[in-house]
Amino acid sequence: MIDIIVDVLNRNIYGDVTVSDFLVAMAVMAGATVIARIITTNLRRTLVDKMKRDQLELILKVIYFVIIIIAFLAVLPLLGLNLSGLLVAGGIAGIVIGFASQSVVSNLISGIFLLSEKPIKIGDQINVDGIAGFVEDINILSTIVRTYDGLYVRLPNEKVFSSNITNYVAHVARRFEYVVGIRYSDDAERAIEIIKGLIEKHPFALKNPEPQVFVDNFGDSSVNIVVRIWAPSAVWYDVKMEILWKIKKELEANGIQIPFPQRTLWFANELNVRK
Amino acid sequence: MYGFYNLSEFSVILDNLTLIVEKRDEFYIYRRVIESDVSEVKERIILGKDGKVILNPVEPVNLPKEITNYLQIKFRRSIVSEPGSSFSVFLTFPLEIGVFLAGKKSMEVIDIFGLTKPKYTLYGNPRNGIICRYWESDVFSKIPETNPLEEGVMELRIVNESGEWQEVSMVVFDIYGMKIFYDKELVGSRTTMTIHSEKVAETDFLVYPLKKKMSKSVELYTARKLPVIGKGFVMEWGI
Repeated sequence: MIDIIVDVLNRNIYGDVTVSDFLVAMAVMAGATVIARIITTNLRRTLVDKMKRDQLELILKVIYFVIIIIAFLAVLPLLGLNLSGLLVAGGIAGIVIGFASQSVVSNLISGIFLLSEKPIKIGDQINVDGIAGFVEDINILSTIVRTYDGLYVRLPNEKVFSSNITNYVAHVARRFEYVVGIRYSDDAERAIEIIKGLIEKHPFALKNPEPQVFVDNFGDSSVNIVVRIWAPSAVWYDVKMEILWKIKKELEANGIQIPFPQRTLWFANELNVRK
Repeated sequence: MYGFYNLSEFSVILDNLTLIVEKRDEFYIYRRVIESDVSEVKERIILGKDGKVILNPVEPVNLPKEITNYLQIKFRRSIVSEPGSSFSVFLTFPLEIGVFLAGKKSMEVIDIFGLTKPKYTLYGNPRNGIICRYWESDVFSKIPETNPLEEGVMELRIVNESGEWQEVSMVVFDIYGMKIFYDKELVGSRTTMTIHSEKVAETDFLVYPLKKKMSKSVELYTARKLPVIGKGFVMEWGI
């Protein structure tokens, strides 16, 4: 039985490479993968509180692939592959593979530029080519986005790199705007005072840059007051949702109403109503 | 009010604030009630037999939720500082109160609340600036009287190294490393501001109390086991 196993292990698969060489190579690769996973998992546990998530993910990926590449280079001689020979063969193979994998290489290069230019980070809220959501991961070939609906979207890095990227949280603060229409008969100055008071009460409506509240234009049915508020990017949408309804309630509590669209008709002759 | 309490005996009842730990069946309930226009109630279940409750002022950047670690104090009247001068003024700063549970070896924050309304601001520009907790203060020449549940007193030593007269209208701190001390009547902290030019100054916290026999607060960032290295802050967008 042992003789049979030894015979099988010593059997050549191709060239001088035996089954045992092949198995050892596979075992080394499997071991390297396990070691890489153990190291990255432990590093993640240790560093998760101490580093920004995007930086941590990048470091873990680099460590993981460095271990895998070292293991791969180490087992190449076992598989009968000579690195110097590979260089010669690689020239020809490179041309063939290059043509065959244009998009892969393009995505790879774009990924490297994305990682170095850093227009987006993991956790950012972005909009790329109409797809908006949170950046879940930036891989070497693709960027993973979780849309606001919770959908998984994989964007090839080439597309991300060549598209207009809107990063909603790249800056620490951002501004949003409401238009609040009030009746022509209402006191606009009083309305502005009420709105400013509400903004002042909200903790995350920033004190500086100062909020702006002013009469912007005279609409068809209302005097339109523009309200511009700066808020920390991390919470701006919460602030936006909270303040608008408070403005409505507070204006109404003070007798100022937001009118429906309306039209006043003037008749040349007095109207007669028939029963 | 601040200090250490046994878990089973913890009870603080003031005009509009009630903090209490009650035993119900097999576990304790921590309960906090702040009565105002809209009453605020918070409860936590505590699974434990003994331990201590620590109540003390903490770094004021946690409410209503933690988005920054910077504090900006705007002076109601600005200060003009002589070149080469060094003098101390007193300011007030907002207080947040932390409730900690302390066991044999570890400590956990179970509640943070405040009796002043928080407000935030941007220091610098929207691209590179920082979000700060905002507070306005008068400038005092001696320790002012304050409510130790609402406001602390900060001694700010201003050193003008710029060689020119400088107008100072605000101070910004990186709250990591803030040292807060308290006694029955006062919550205090000591800080420095070194002015380098019209737009640049460096601020830092000192580790000494305002008065003798003040107790040191448990720092929130120590309790959370965050790796904090005490460091100053460089104000580079104006003073």
